[in-house]
Amino acid sequence: MASEDELNLLVIVVDVNPIWWGQQGQREPEFTLCKCLDAIMVMGNSHMAMTRTNRLAVIASHCQDSHFLYPSKTWKSGDSGGDEISSSRDGKYELLAVANNLIAEEIKNIMTKTEVTGNSTDTLMAGSLAKALCFGQEMKSRILVIKAADDCALQYMNFMNVIFAAQKQNILIDACVLDSDSGLLQQACDITGGLYLKIPQKVALAQYLLWVFLPDSEQRSQLVLPQPAHVDYRAACFCHRNLIEIGYVCSVCLSIFCNFSPICTTC
Amino acid sequence: MAYRLGPHSDTMDEEPERAKRWEGGYERTWEVLKEDESGSLKATVEEILYQSKRKRVTQSHAQVRLGMMRHLYVVIDCSRSMEDQDLKPNRLTSTLKLMEGFIDEYFDQNPISQVGIITTKNKRAEKLTELAGNPKKHIAALKKAVDSSCVGEPSLYNSLSLAIQTLKHMPGHTSREILIILSSLTTCDPANIYELIKTLKSLKVRVSVIGLSAEVRVCTVLTRDTGGSYHVILDESHFKELLMLHVTPPPASFSSESSLIRMGFPQHSVASLSDQDVKPSFSMSHLDYSGGPALTLGGYFCPQCQAKYTELPVECKVCGLTLVSAPHLARSFHHLFPLQAFIEHPADNYHLNRFCQACQGQLKDKNVFACPLCCSVFCGECDLFIHESLHCCPCCIHNRTAT
Repeated sequence: MASEDELNLLVIVVDVNPIWWGQQGQREPEFTLCKCLDAIMVMGNSHMAMTRTNRLAVIASHCQDSHFLYPSKTWKSGDSGGDEISSSRDGKYELLAVANNLIAEEIKNIMTKTEVTGNSTDTLMAGSLAKALCFGQEMKSRILVIKAADDCALQYMNFMNVIFAAQKQNILIDACVLDSDSGLLQQACDITGGLYLKIPQKVALAQYLLWVFLPDSEQRSQLVLPQPAHVDYRAACFCHRNLIEIGYVCSVCLSIFCNFSPICTTC
Repeated sequence: MAYRLGPHSDTMDEEPERAKRWEGGYERTWEVLKEDESGSLKATVEEILYQSKRKRVTQSHAQVRLGMMRHLYVVIDCSRSMEDQDLKPNRLTSTLKLMEGFIDEYFDQNPISQVGIITTKNKRAEKLTELAGNPKKHIAALKKAVDSSCVGEPSLYNSLSLAIQTLKHMPGHTSREILIILSSLTTCDPANIYELIKTLKSLKVRVSVIGLSAEVRVCTVLTRDTGGSYHVILDESHFKELLMLHVTPPPASFSSESSLIRMGFPQHSVASLSDQDVKPSFSMSHLDYSGGPALTLGGYFCPQCQAKYTELPVECKVCGLTLVSAPHLARSFHHLFPLQAFIEHPADNYHLNRFCQACQGQLKDKNVFACPLCCSVFCGECDLFIHESLHCCPCCIHNRTAT
């Protein structure tokens, strides 16, 4: 078992792209953003209830920005400005009640105040992951990503930078995918040693979270967990965006081409 | 051979040497420390610590071509002077330990490069490991070498010519480097080393030296003529710093050709016993492995000849194709698009926004760092982390137009 004083941090990164969730609300009214956040709160409470030294952070990843839902800035600085909202009326453990209330308040703020520009249905995960890495520098941490919308192809390089930084710090990245498979997250889980799971039934999100993603890395070796997915590591050539098995790599700028040419078009 | 005193000399056509430290005037080192009103040195000590932390954020080589595919030979001196105990427990053990860390870091930053190790003692040189892209073999060899005896004198000429024998066959677009860790003050050479230096220059090999004892004239000439760097260590932590300087890719010399290299991207097949068609097979990388044959189910299959390997990157023994995976190339991207250094501001300008935008912590340092592109504010710890590991600003990557 880990030593008593070591803090274990779980960072949950939630994809709250309003366009995707709006469409989802019309497709399947029984699984909405509120239900998803309920499941996340259950997961967060369970994690904090496991040991005294477990810590939690929740980041919401919006279209153009990412926000910390929990802990809020005033809370982390030490002063307990949340006295008004922390009185739990049903005898719940104070920390869990505070966490739930803060998450609910912040997500309401974010969804009402953030403007949505454009109608893109993809989210920028790399920024939220980068913030999660900076947040968890002093303690042993792991990241759980709950992804709803599709990948954004523009952020490949930043995403890979974040993944390598996580691998260097021994931070696991787990992924729980609601809708469509994400190649980037599959690579992230493979490189950092985390778990990737695409959920067959969205309404049972809380069950999947508690069963698969609640145990931390030391306990996972003793459990039978979903098999790792087959990750396609083939590179895409820069000229046609096809996946190739044998290609030509420029020695200066490392761009990949499918046909040999004496001049590299990038440099 | 007279010493030249700094930039006023014009007798030789090479760049003038720096003035030696004993030739300068007195340094009043006590003036660096300043006491505040109560007589305590705390502020000065904190300032010194802060400056040493900041030193780690190095200059970026923007707009300079870097040599990504590197062939580096490390020559380790195993002569009698390595038994000296000024590095604990002795120089050899300390050097080998630091080399293991160097190899790990090297392959982390340069995944498609290769390293070979040469040792020199008893006036001869021999290869400890061949040029290879897999760190495990090198680390195993380094661990075994701790028990070897340090005897005799090193031979710079022999070790350099041994390295040249392999390096001269390397293709022109890769960088050819030699790093020498020299602790002895003498070298025993069978022929004129200045001729060898001319050969090195013509083969475009860059030689750098890390000295463990003192500056040696022939090393100064060697490194200056080939374009490398020469440093002498002060203590063990300085040694580590100097080694880590060689991890980042050096600027490519203007004469290196650039070309497209043919590489394979094999798929990783993960098969379990329940699959119908799966057959266990030997991995090609285990052909000369003395630990016994290993039949495994999954692995990487070379797209050209279907030979199996367990790890990447590797050069296929059957068909000669270099096999890498896309993340290996992605690891080197941050050298090509380095992150700009953040601008330092005094913290008093930011009364309202008292929180670091990356870690949400309070800004406690007296200086804060702002990204020049998005003007978000970060604390000192996050700035260090961003520049050393992350290589991208957490707020800039929210901008959709970034690649």
